[in-house]
Amino acid sequence: MSDSNGNRLAEESLNSNRTEASDDLSQLTDLSELRSLLLGIEEQKLHRFYEKLDNPQVDAEDISQILPEAVILGTMRNEQLSEAMVPTVEQAIQSSVKKDINVLSQAIFPIIAPATRKAIATALDEMLQSFNYALEHSLSPQSLKWRIEARQTGKSFAEVVLLRTMIYRVEQVFLIHKHSGLMLQHIVAPQVAAQDPSLVSAMLTAIQDFVRDSFNVRKNDGLHTLQFGELTIWIEEGPTSVLAGIIRGNAPEELRFIFKNAIEKIHLKLGKEINDFSGDTKPFVASKPYLETCLASHYKKPTKTKYIYAGISLSILAILLGTWGFSAIREHKRWNNYIQNLSEQPGIIVDKVSRKNGKYFIAGMRDPLSIEPNRLIKQANLNPEEVIYEWETFISLEDEIILKRAAQLLQKPQTVKLSLNKNKILNATGYAPRQWILSAKERSSSLSIMGITKYEDKNLTELDVDQFYQNKSELEKIKILFQVDKNQFVPGERAKLLQVVPKIQNLIGTARYLEKEILIEISGHADTTGVEDANIKLSLARANRILIYLASQGIDKNNLTTRAFGSQKILRPESTKEDKKLNRRVSFKVMINDVAK
Amino acid sequence: MLQKKICMVGAFATGKTSLVAKFVYSIFSEKYQTTVGVKIDKKNLKIEEQELNLILWDLYGEDEFQKLRTSYLRGSSGYLLVVDGTRKSTLQTAFELQKRVEDSIGKVPFIVVLNKCDLEEEWELDSANMETIEKKGWTVIKTSAKTGLNVEEIFHTLASKILEG
Repeated sequence: MSDSNGNRLAEESLNSNRTEASDDLSQLTDLSELRSLLLGIEEQKLHRFYEKLDNPQVDAEDISQILPEAVILGTMRNEQLSEAMVPTVEQAIQSSVKKDINVLSQAIFPIIAPATRKAIATALDEMLQSFNYALEHSLSPQSLKWRIEARQTGKSFAEVVLLRTMIYRVEQVFLIHKHSGLMLQHIVAPQVAAQDPSLVSAMLTAIQDFVRDSFNVRKNDGLHTLQFGELTIWIEEGPTSVLAGIIRGNAPEELRFIFKNAIEKIHLKLGKEINDFSGDTKPFVASKPYLETCLASHYKKPTKTKYIYAGISLSILAILLGTWGFSAIREHKRWNNYIQNLSEQPGIIVDKVSRKNGKYFIAGMRDPLSIEPNRLIKQANLNPEEVIYEWETFISLEDEIILKRAAQLLQKPQTVKLSLNKNKILNATGYAPRQWILSAKERSSSLSIMGITKYEDKNLTELDVDQFYQNKSELEKIKILFQVDKNQFVPGERAKLLQVVPKIQNLIGTARYLEKEILIEISGHADTTGVEDANIKLSLARANRILIYLASQGIDKNNLTTRAFGSQKILRPESTKEDKKLNRRVSFKVMINDVAK
Repeated sequence: MLQKKICMVGAFATGKTSLVAKFVYSIFSEKYQTTVGVKIDKKNLKIEEQELNLILWDLYGEDEFQKLRTSYLRGSSGYLLVVDGTRKSTLQTAFELQKRVEDSIGKVPFIVVLNKCDLEEEWELDSANMETIEKKGWTVIKTSAKTGLNVEEIFHTLASKILEG
């Protein structure tokens, strides 16, 4: 009984549970419908929303959607984001360089050239401006005072000018460890003499401590400014370090912002390193760029932007340098040419060339018969007084010197020419009187000492003074006859010309030996037929024909002259054709003069 | 290069400035000039291949008129506690100063320097005093700024202690 009751109860209970479950499901569906009606939210979306709440971790996809905008907003708000990203960007650059240097170098290539140009231009501009200042003020009355100051202080004049025209200049910047007073980093402006920065840092800290201890100040108050004469020390404190700038002149308040900015950035970048500082300053090299921004300066602007003084002075300097350079180069070239020319002269050996105290020294060997060096130096447009020679005398066996020495020994007349062949045979040619020819033969035995193997005079023509006058007389008797109204020879007359040439050569040679000048007048004539003007022209043509012929035979034109007589000087009255024929002629007249000495 | 701050601490006229002058500039002057405030000097040392830049803060000697400013001690890596061996009272001052220094900057290496040991006839410190110091376990070195005895040693020893940490 009890079993059957129990079973029934269980069955009822099960049925009851089923009914409840069915009711619950129905309620849930209703609730869901109600929620949908009230809120209008799709269940799927709601489900995702709950999932996000259950899982608070942000996934990368979501961040990627908001990151660009967040970066822009962060950058616009302040510089903290930029500063925070510096180490990441630096590491990224380092990784990129390590991986492939070309990627970055190609990317920054277009920037490098303009940046370099700009840096060079700025540096040049600053240099020129500084130079201009110095020059501009060196010409003013104030310059005297500054020059005295420069002398007294041991500074350069340009440095004093810069100091006096300066409004302010930050000369040194210190980054000091606040706790210990030890120097973390120090930079100094160019041309500024700085004391030991470690000591200065410690002393600045001691001064701060002294002021804090000595006066009733609040805990966070500090010494911000120290002034001594024209020097001011500005101190900007960070949480764990201090930035101190040594300023000459009157700096504007804006500079404080630069200092503040620098110390803030340093703390942002090196805060941990400063906290952990135990004496090693290496990590603080990274603070240099920030400290360098504090090295500001400002000078009085020049009234004229065009650097007139610098321009004029540079131009004058350039002209002077150019002139000096040109003269120096020209003289150097002349000097080299002279030395080369001197070395090439027979009988001269240049051994040593030097320059001392503005004088040239030339040492070597010289044959007394060689050319006088000062003759060459004048040709080279150099000052002989600037050259000092030291010659050792020697006997040269060069051909030119042998010929000179042989001519001296044989007392060679001008009409004789000496030459030396490769076998060292001395050959005498030209004209000489018999007496000289014989004496030269006698003396020729002494020529061997000069290295001459043989003396030959077979080409030497003997000169005779009597023969000279005989030749003159014979030449003046010769008459070359011409055809009627032409400058053509009468047949058979050409043979006479053959006699004329040696006679004239002999006359000229002998005259030279006798130290006489000879001039042979070639006189053209015509017969009396026709008008005189035509006869003059005809007679000139005849004389010229003879002149051309003689010149073609090697006779110097300077010894010849022509003259046209027409029919003025007929040889005989023209009663016959034969008379006329004799008048159509060219004759010679020999004029002898003493040589003008 | 490592930088370390070292302070010279002691009663007045114990020879702190003379020790620094001898160590840094190798000079000694008989003329006494009291230190006003603080003097700062620098000396480079090489301890076992380690270059060390010692920044020496020579603090004025404590007397009845001026007390040691503990702010000057801040950031010190070590200090020299200078005692004038010819004046017993300076040892007592040294004990007091050591306590104040330790209270101010904590436990850092230091050396007790018994200076003026060239003045043997005037020496006042006896064996009992020495025992007192030794009992404390402190390093004691006798020096003379005048003769230069142990001057280099005190700075080298202190620098070594600092590097040992």
